[in-house]
Amino acid sequence: MPHATVVKPANLKALWKLLPSISPKRKYLAGGTDLVTGANTGLNSAETWVDISDLKELRGIKETAAAVIIGAGVKISELEGSRLVGRWLPVLHAAIPHFASPSLRNMATIGGNAANASPCSDGACALCAEKAWVWLELKGKRRKLPLAALFKGPKKTALKKDELIIAFEIPKWKHEGAYLKLGPRSYFGISKVSVAAALEMDGGSVKTASIALASVAPVPLLARKTADYLAGRILNEENARTAAALVKAEVSPITDVRSEAAYRREMAGVLLARALGRIGRRGENL
Amino acid sequence: MDKFSFVGKSLPRKDAFIKATGRARYAADQDFAGLLYAAAVRCPKPRIKILSISAAKAEKVPGYVTLVTYKDVKGPNKWPLVSSDYPFLPETEARFQGETIALVVAETRKAAVAAARLVEIKYKELPFLDDPLRALEKNAVKLHGDDNVFAKFVIKKGNPDQAIRDAHVVVEEEFSTNYQVHAYLETQGVTAVPEPDGGLTVYSSTQCPFYVLDAVAAAADLGYHKVKVIQTVTGGGFGGKEDVPALVASHASVCALKVGRPVRLIYDRKEDFNSMSKRHPSWSRVAYAADRDGKITACVVKYVLDGGAYATLSPIVLWRGAVHAAGPYRIENIRIEAYAAATNKVPCGAFRGFGQPQICFAQESLVDELAHKLEMDPVRLRLKNILRPGDKTATGQIIGASCGLEKLLETVKKRSNWDRRKAKGLRIKDKGEIARGLGVSVAYYGVGLGAKGRYLDRAGAYVNIYKDATVGVNVGNTEMGQGALTVLSQICAETLNAPYENIKLEEVDTSKVSDSGPTVASRTTLMSGNAIIEAAAPMRDNIFKTAFELLLAKGADGSGPMRAAEGLFSIGEVSVTFAETVKECWNRRMKMGEQGWYVAPRTSYDMGDGQGDAYVTYSYSADVADVEVDLKTGVTKVLKIYAAYDAGRIINPGLAEGQAQGGLLQGMSWALYENLAYKNGIMLNPNFTDYVLATTADKPEYDITFIEKPYAGGPYKAKGIGEVPLIGVAPAVGNAIMNASGARVRTVPLLPEKVWNGLNGKKS
Repeated sequence: MPHATVVKPANLKALWKLLPSISPKRKYLAGGTDLVTGANTGLNSAETWVDISDLKELRGIKETAAAVIIGAGVKISELEGSRLVGRWLPVLHAAIPHFASPSLRNMATIGGNAANASPCSDGACALCAEKAWVWLELKGKRRKLPLAALFKGPKKTALKKDELIIAFEIPKWKHEGAYLKLGPRSYFGISKVSVAAALEMDGGSVKTASIALASVAPVPLLARKTADYLAGRILNEENARTAAALVKAEVSPITDVRSEAAYRREMAGVLLARALGRIGRRGENL
Repeated sequence: MDKFSFVGKSLPRKDAFIKATGRARYAADQDFAGLLYAAAVRCPKPRIKILSISAAKAEKVPGYVTLVTYKDVKGPNKWPLVSSDYPFLPETEARFQGETIALVVAETRKAAVAAARLVEIKYKELPFLDDPLRALEKNAVKLHGDDNVFAKFVIKKGNPDQAIRDAHVVVEEEFSTNYQVHAYLETQGVTAVPEPDGGLTVYSSTQCPFYVLDAVAAAADLGYHKVKVIQTVTGGGFGGKEDVPALVASHASVCALKVGRPVRLIYDRKEDFNSMSKRHPSWSRVAYAADRDGKITACVVKYVLDGGAYATLSPIVLWRGAVHAAGPYRIENIRIEAYAAATNKVPCGAFRGFGQPQICFAQESLVDELAHKLEMDPVRLRLKNILRPGDKTATGQIIGASCGLEKLLETVKKRSNWDRRKAKGLRIKDKGEIARGLGVSVAYYGVGLGAKGRYLDRAGAYVNIYKDATVGVNVGNTEMGQGALTVLSQICAETLNAPYENIKLEEVDTSKVSDSGPTVASRTTLMSGNAIIEAAAPMRDNIFKTAFELLLAKGADGSGPMRAAEGLFSIGEVSVTFAETVKECWNRRMKMGEQGWYVAPRTSYDMGDGQGDAYVTYSYSADVADVEVDLKTGVTKVLKIYAAYDAGRIINPGLAEGQAQGGLLQGMSWALYENLAYKNGIMLNPNFTDYVLATTADKPEYDITFIEKPYAGGPYKAKGIGEVPLIGVAPAVGNAIMNASGARVRTVPLLPEKVWNGLNGKKS
């Protein structure tokens, strides 16, 4: 186990009060699934971990007339069982079985998943396709960003020092969703490519679309051109093929120990075509 | 069929309770008063000249005790192994990223790790090699001798060049395979405890306590009588705890002697990945020739292993691979050339299969390609050519009666519905995106160390029957999860007619039994089993004679036969227990403790031309893999593996089934997923996030059959089962992928990226 001092404020107010008194070499500890493993392998050298797991302001899944609000401290396994997620967020719902392992889902939080800013994040990718916004707070001051704008590069975010993700606000819009992941094995692996597709349907046609991809760009990628192409078009094989060709041009994958660039690019298209086909077939069965 | 009380039964594992309840004490659980902790300072680059080592900054860490370097090694600074090229600690040059250069000893593990990070090594980078084929080129940088060759073997028979010229069909291809990491749950670990007489007791997680003894005695410059090595409960080995625990133990021992206190050294996963042995990456070029009827007439192989920075076990791994390189076929014309090359990467060594899985992948893939070219069914081609009793192997060895290969192949053919599936053609589903196919392979495995290890192929046992009729057994071969304690207890119980619960196999202690060689090569059942039988034999005679006399005294009719079963002796209705009999033996002051010693029969192999008997006997396997391939993504899912084995008589069917399932899954994992990567001599993925192993979700269905061809020389006619289940998996899967998708992948792992390339007409 790594050695760090852990402080655990009781609420947000206490947190902002506490920060000036502790080591500037600090990091937030939520589920710990990235922070602890990173510390074990020497990736981060924070002296103090600010344990935010008690902050009630970060908890709960709620709804308003227009949106679903997910607290940043919500565990992935809580999302799994949430009625609201099941009803309003089909892409996120479909992504959860692909998210790490059951034991990690019991620990990891959705806020931590976004703050870690990994381009391969299943949670962030799915939420981007859901058109999520993110609420941030620093010393009592709040601001709101589209989630996709939070990500600036691998492990890089728009968060200022000490700024904390408070919640995700996802607009309620009637849509179909699919999440397809190509990993290194059947389950519990980091994706080579993932595709999240959210489609607002009008009969057999796409009214609006939101497409996000993981592991094929420096950040969870919103494929805007592909989504724009699909909007207003019939969801058939030919249009799905064209969308797949478009998405291959939108991604910018790399070759690393996990896969090869050319393969990832091609698979982005294959997975998108399959995701669209899956939603289309669901429509036929309605 | 002989009737047995304990042999052939799925009796419960002797170590199940302590392991399942967390009571087992592993290397990191050994505690001693005054214990200190060591941590290694490791080489940061693939090859460096060491200019200086300074602990100036490390000394400031609270709890720092001392720095240990090569200067603290008491004996000659050479780890005694097959060839002694590996220094205990390097003096002027370190040869791979992760090599231990020095150690820090401290009061806590945290302090030791922190201080080790602060030890400053001044160095100059030296030119390095990371490609074994490049290493064999004339103008390559020289790391070992004048040719970078750790070992070379040749096997020659007949006239392969002529046979190829005369052949109806010839196939020739290149193949390669990547590393495999043992991924044992317990990383390397040891505690060395100085004794008042200046000696050492070493508690080691190891398969081979006698290798640890050799190394510690040499590094500490102590007589063997002053070093005692005790094997701690070992959390997995698979070959990864064959040689290298000796190096780790020598480091802890040098530290302990320097500070005069017990020192514990436990590796974290990253340093275990970086510095401990692996399955060798391989490259090979294989050719087969056949006549019009599909009789294989020649096999030519060039086989190269990437040995890494030091020779360690490469010569014997290579030899085993070379001996088996033509496959289990009757072929008259053979030329096999095998090389182990030096590179500046982690030294490779033993891993379940020991140099065979790599070349088996190559030759069994190519036999399928031969079948394709002959337009012949791959099972039929194999049935035409496989070894049967009386046939000669590539080394000219005549196969004995214990060979069930033909029946194994017929069994998997039948159970997999091979003929019907083939006749029906491919099954394609999901709009033509998913295809299903079958692939076959056969393999054989020389049990024990064979001719190259003949001087080590002996084993001892001490069997001690206490007054209360419980039995203590000391052997020199270890339990590492494979079930040795259980199987050897069954053999002992059977031989003595003692109740199974009465038998206790002790943890291996090098001071209690003579050097029994390593616990490797699927040799433990055979070697230690026979040693136990030899030790028990005189006591068995006394016990059986005494039981008979007790039965007569109790009024039994001595003209009838005495029955000995389940720990009871009886004639007709009259019976005495094992306990009563043992008590009487003690009353009669009979000798109730005996040593046994078993030596493997002589082998006749000639290292010059590679001809002669290489191993005393062979185990066999046949596999059929049933796979689905996603034609769009190249992803393979193994649905089912049909496997059949001949490992002689099975002592414990439940454990044998476990060995088979474990071997199949480990083989499948290597075949499909495991991909250790190096770039410029630096290991890129020394962790389980990016070094991907199969999980239970990837597990195929198993259909396992044992065909027991008794081996007369084995204990209760057993051979060995540990390794043969892994060997044939990769080619069966590769052949099935080809059958399903038309993509032939000639490099392991058979990644989706490569299958996809193959589907798009690119070679991989």
